[in-house]
Amino acid sequence: MTPSAPVTLDWLVLAPALVPVAGLLLVLVLDAVLPGRRGLHLAVGVVALVVAAATAVPRALAPDSSPALSLCLPGGTEGACFWRAGPLQSTLQVGVLAATLAVLLLQSDRWHPAGTDAGATHDGAVDVALLLGSATGGVAVAAASDVATWLIALELATLPVVALVALRRTRESAHGALTLMMTSLLSFAILVVGAGLWVLATGGSTLTGAAVRVAWADAATRPVLVLAVLALIAGVGFKLSAVPFHAWTPPTFTSAPLPVTALLAAASKVAALAALLIVLAPLAGLVGAQPAPHAIAFVLGALALASMLVGTVLALRAVDVVRLLAWSTIAQAGWVLLPLSALTAAGHRAAAGYVLTYAAASLVAFAAVSAVRRTTGGEPGSGRELSAYTGLARTHPHVGGPLVLALLTFAGLPPGILGLVAKVVALRPLLGAGLWPLAVAAVVGVVLGIAVYLRWVAVLLGDPAGAEAERDVHLDRGALSVLALGSALLVVATVVPHVLYGLLS
Amino acid sequence: MIASVLVLGFAGAGVLGLLLSRWAAAARMLATGAAGFLAIVAAGSMVRAQRPETFGWVVPGFDLGAFAVPLDLGTSRPTAAVAFVVALVACGVQVYSTWYLRDDDRYPVFAATVSLFTAAMLLVVHSRDLVLTLIGWEVMGWCSYLLIGHWSRRASARRAAYKAFLVTRIADIGFVLGTVGLAAGAGSTALTRVIAAWGEPTVCDEYAACTGPDAVLRNVVVTLLVLGVLGKSAQIPFQDWLPDAMEGPTPASALIHAATMVAAGTVVLAGLFPMLAQAQVARWVLGVSTALTMLVAALLAMGQSDLKRLLAWSTVSQVAIMLSALASAGPADGPDAGLFHLWSHAIFKSLLFLAIGLLGVIAGGTTAVLLRGIGMRSRLGRWAFLIGLLSLAGVPFLVGGLSKEHVIAEVYAGAAEGGPGVLVLLALLLTVVVTAAYSTRAYLVIGELIDVDQPVEAVAALPAARRARRAEHLDPHGRGNANAVLLVLAVLSLVGGLALVLELFDLPGLSWTWTVITVLLIAVGAGLAFALGRAGDPGVRFVGRRAALWDSGFGADTAYRALVRPVERLARVVAFLDTEVIDGYVRGGAVAARLAGLAGERFHRRERVRLGPWLVVAGLIIVLAVGVLGWR
Repeated sequence: MTPSAPVTLDWLVLAPALVPVAGLLLVLVLDAVLPGRRGLHLAVGVVALVVAAATAVPRALAPDSSPALSLCLPGGTEGACFWRAGPLQSTLQVGVLAATLAVLLLQSDRWHPAGTDAGATHDGAVDVALLLGSATGGVAVAAASDVATWLIALELATLPVVALVALRRTRESAHGALTLMMTSLLSFAILVVGAGLWVLATGGSTLTGAAVRVAWADAATRPVLVLAVLALIAGVGFKLSAVPFHAWTPPTFTSAPLPVTALLAAASKVAALAALLIVLAPLAGLVGAQPAPHAIAFVLGALALASMLVGTVLALRAVDVVRLLAWSTIAQAGWVLLPLSALTAAGHRAAAGYVLTYAAASLVAFAAVSAVRRTTGGEPGSGRELSAYTGLARTHPHVGGPLVLALLTFAGLPPGILGLVAKVVALRPLLGAGLWPLAVAAVVGVVLGIAVYLRWVAVLLGDPAGAEAERDVHLDRGALSVLALGSALLVVATVVPHVLYGLLS
Repeated sequence: MIASVLVLGFAGAGVLGLLLSRWAAAARMLATGAAGFLAIVAAGSMVRAQRPETFGWVVPGFDLGAFAVPLDLGTSRPTAAVAFVVALVACGVQVYSTWYLRDDDRYPVFAATVSLFTAAMLLVVHSRDLVLTLIGWEVMGWCSYLLIGHWSRRASARRAAYKAFLVTRIADIGFVLGTVGLAAGAGSTALTRVIAAWGEPTVCDEYAACTGPDAVLRNVVVTLLVLGVLGKSAQIPFQDWLPDAMEGPTPASALIHAATMVAAGTVVLAGLFPMLAQAQVARWVLGVSTALTMLVAALLAMGQSDLKRLLAWSTVSQVAIMLSALASAGPADGPDAGLFHLWSHAIFKSLLFLAIGLLGVIAGGTTAVLLRGIGMRSRLGRWAFLIGLLSLAGVPFLVGGLSKEHVIAEVYAGAAEGGPGVLVLLALLLTVVVTAAYSTRAYLVIGELIDVDQPVEAVAALPAARRARRAEHLDPHGRGNANAVLLVLAVLSLVGGLALVLELFDLPGLSWTWTVITVLLIAVGAGLAFALGRAGDPGVRFVGRRAALWDSGFGADTAYRALVRPVERLARVVAFLDTEVIDGYVRGGAVAARLAGLAGERFHRRERVRLGPWLVVAGLIIVLAVGVLGWR
């Protein structure tokens, strides 16, 4: 690249974000030209997500490759590019796209006339378009390397979800959407403040190591930088459902349609971690610096512990399984944040591995939950009381079995070895950084977590005599495929966990 | 490859036998047919065996990172000889059981267990890998439990089986730990690599800089291994399970005593001999234990009121002799004297057990009182028993005599090089005297003249059912198989020393000096027995009124119980701490978690739109406050 060249644009590097956008436009055009062709919209959505993921996979599979740059400013100095996707970022992009694809599949069967979803009066094209939009935001935020792109991408990932929650047109979903909206707006405000402080501290809008090192070295800008990072962490903490930014999670999870809940639980979390890693990556260079960034590590650790303990303890009391999964999401967000407090590259990889493991297990769990309905209510996923799951693993092993595996993966108990490996990998950076108190508290969290998930597993393995009459188990094709693919992924990664972690190391 | 055929053949016969256990005739044909065929195969392999070789078998080996588990088998001339004698005894036991357990409803299970047991022993004999040795070792422990408890409807049989299992199991802790230590030190479970890693002598110069493996570590792991061997071979302090194991059917005793279980330790230690020879502490542990055992067990044998228990104690004593050869032999001597004694002991001890089984059936029991003069009713039984006893006593040129003289010569040679040799030699010579004495006593009891037509008083006291059974067995019809087995084993006891002509064992020539000395010692022992036996059973004269003490093995059971009681008390304390103290914390933790959950639920109950933003604002304030207070 010559210094005099205009902004360089490498289209292929941008493909993971551009393909979903193209799919989004195509869906809207198709809806205008051929209204009501739901199968077509679904096909376009699936193809767009698969193609986008396929363009990101090669970089994710090459752990040693240098980051792909695009949208670079003339001048060619470090960090002058708006798009910077290394192997870790590409892996997270694949995660976002795959999770969105799973949600699309879960969503697909609700459009069939046979579906009795109370709110299924809206058009499928809108659903697909919103999902693709959210995926675009998630993909873009993983690779954004300047404050403006990052902020816009993060909002692009969030706002379509608000619409998806609200589209159900019931009183609860409006309530949930409103909670989500309010919290989302407030965090956006915090993020903007953080971004402003960042620009003030570093004197530029890029999120790179060099600028941070300069700002950190100067005693005058250092406090501003710390405040900027903390504000950005707080803003992203909302998306990640970290305590105390978690209050939207239980009401929204329980009131949104189940596939949208799955989106919030899986794809949104991957995107949120990707966004957080962009902010934290430059700080990894400060670990050896004097003074060390203790305040940031402390806040991250405190958020992690609070999320882990509050989420677990409240999940212990939940009777509604979706509510249980909501609190479990909060607890797992603590686990995602935990290795980040080491402020090292190994910690970042561990968090990425954890969030991907968690997302896969969550999607399996939600697919299984969507299969169970009340005989009298009939709506998919309506059998939400824990008692409706009594003996499910015995009567319907093809649904109950994957659910047990997913729950054990959450708990980190064999045979869900993948979850165990993820937890061990998450704890290792802490020990490397000498953060023993955090690790010990995390172990307490593990013990409590086992109680949470085994409570459900015990119900699943119980005597199905009474519960059989009250529930109706029906797997849609979409849910079936998510269940099959997700559990296959969990099983394969359980047998050879280094495959997943090999991608991240 | 013949080793795999033998192991898999017996294992296959065992498994198939279990499947066929509903059809006794088929199970009988399978068990005896397979054992006979495999004994012939083993004989062929023994004659053809040339130099040691190692090979893989049906189970492929694998590597765990840098840790190699090749799972190899191997043969050499001594192991081929031991394998033959194991297969031969197994075959004899199978054939004999078709007569002895003819009306037993669980005969097919018994035959299958014997096959499995033999397969496990052959696996240990041929194993060139610690994992395979461990597998064979454990399967043997399990099979012995099943065989001893075969008549599990009897409380005494159940108790004996439990006792055998528990005692050997406790000793196995040492065996497993030792095996793991050896494998960990060598980075492999292959015997060759273990010996290469541990068998080098440790040489230190004047600056205490040593070459070779760590001597202390080697002593620890090899001593652990030796402890396991002492348990399985019923050596002091684990000696008491073996006489109790007489509760099992006599063919099972013959198998356990002669060729498998108790001899397995000798085979394992012989395979690891270069390493044992370097571990001085382990040699001393083994030497002291075996020296003590051989003498004490021989004295106990002398005073037993039950001749089957006499044979059991003689096994303990003879196995101690095998192991003492391994303990005292120097690094250059090799383990073959012990293995040769294993070979001869397997032949004459199986002969003795099967003979006393026959005599016991005729007499209706195996106590000395019942057996008195019983030899007059079965000429074959008497002759077989006599030949077995002569071999046991160590009369020169019989198989037992040859092997015992080799052991004595080797121990004498080893004593010159240090180690426990002197102590062992002393015990060995004394044991020869006592062995000759109790052998003479056993024959005097059997052979005392009694009128054939007059029933013995004690027989009249037997329950009617047992008498009927005895009458049935007295019928010469159907006893042909058992007679044939006795005949073959008796002939082998006479000419088994031909193994030396075949050069199956690597041994020096016979020492005439030691031959003369042993003859003299045997004469002393026999003379003592005759002197005591002038007025009745020499054993009774020997122990006088303390017969109960002798029959209880000097009260070993009481000692075991005294040892267990404090352990039990400790266990009760631990259980109390666990349920009342530690569980209290756990339950408290659960209550605390539940209460916290309740409080959290209350707090989140008003999940209005308001709460979320307020929480966010509060959180932000806290986070920023931390930042402001904490920045540096």
